[in-house]
Amino acid sequence: MAAPSEDELANGFAAHERWAFDEAYRRYSGLLYSAAYNVLGNAEDARDCVHDALSRVWRSPHAYTRARGAVRSFLVVCVRNEAISRRRSQSRRARLNERLAAEPVVHAELGAGDPIERDRLRAALAQLPPEQRVPLELAYYRGKTHVEIASELQQPLGTIKSRIAMGLRKLGAALGGTPA
Amino acid sequence: MNAGDHIGDDAALYALGVLDEERVRSIDAHVATCEPCARALGEAEGGVAGMVAAGPQYAMPAEIVALREPRARRPAWRPALALAVAAALVVGILPSAYFWEREATLHRAMMTDAAAMDRLASSPHRTVAFVGMEPGASAHVMYGPDGSWYVVLVRGASRALRLVWMHDGGRTPLGTAEPYGNVALLYLPKSHRMDRLALMDGERMVAEAQLAY
Repeated sequence: MAAPSEDELANGFAAHERWAFDEAYRRYSGLLYSAAYNVLGNAEDARDCVHDALSRVWRSPHAYTRARGAVRSFLVVCVRNEAISRRRSQSRRARLNERLAAEPVVHAELGAGDPIERDRLRAALAQLPPEQRVPLELAYYRGKTHVEIASELQQPLGTIKSRIAMGLRKLGAALGGTPA
Repeated sequence: MNAGDHIGDDAALYALGVLDEERVRSIDAHVATCEPCARALGEAEGGVAGMVAAGPQYAMPAEIVALREPRARRPAWRPALALAVAAALVVGILPSAYFWEREATLHRAMMTDAAAMDRLASSPHRTVAFVGMEPGASAHVMYGPDGSWYVVLVRGASRALRLVWMHDGGRTPLGTAEPYGNVALLYLPKSHRMDRLALMDGERMVAEAQLAY
């Protein structure tokens, strides 16, 4: 039997059907685990994070609607935000993690990223004007909040928010070939 | 948050994970009933998912994660267990890390093989032979008609071969087909239509394949 299309999967997921949940996990578990690992840098924490984020999605049947778009993007952000939240709470508890939060995350890389996607991302980021690229990179790669970024770059909060939003919009459009 | 207040630029901040929990909850409640904001949030999430997909990828650990029920909390004696493990390492278990790593590598290879077989069994595909393989060896690429995935199978491989995408006068490395026994397999869940692939031994091109869509 042919695998369900992205549209079929999204419809099933929005209807909170178990097969769609299982299929989404089967299809995206590697990407979701990578999203968590890239933030937490620890295999056990990353696995727990994916599990807890997906459990929460399953217990919230109205969290995803068709208007939200791709199930893949929705789940990646759910898992990544759970990982960021965990890292923040860890860093409140331990000095070591405070240091981790202040430095770029360095991982023991188990597998190289997709070189084509990496090149596309690099090119898309290079196309952004610095005033949009820098706050976006500080938010994504350094995990800084918009308040911290505004303070660091000495710009008004509203300006930083709109620059991050504009940068991410352009980046999303440039990466638009990514499957849904 | 009032019903008339759309999320605006906060869609990007939500997707990047920089908002506080209270704001996240109010956005969750709002997008459940506001289609334009749900669409805007979905677009922002697409941008972040693209960044994640372009970053380093890691293999999921071996065990199957039970998805339905939350895991039990970690037992309180975990620090004691960590101390015991550390002590065990000191007294001589360290060499087993080498074998553990070998197991993990083998496991990742098996997971890749399983994902490739699953894809081949469940999706329509085309097959093209690589031209130029040495006698006694052969290589084929099986791929989705839309270019969304590729499986490269090398038989009679005596050493690892690198797979590259030849395009615009350049080469993009895609991965290495490592032989296990007589067969090497490489699975690429890509999203690009690649029309010319080559297998490389170091800097020497061994064989190439022309793909049609």
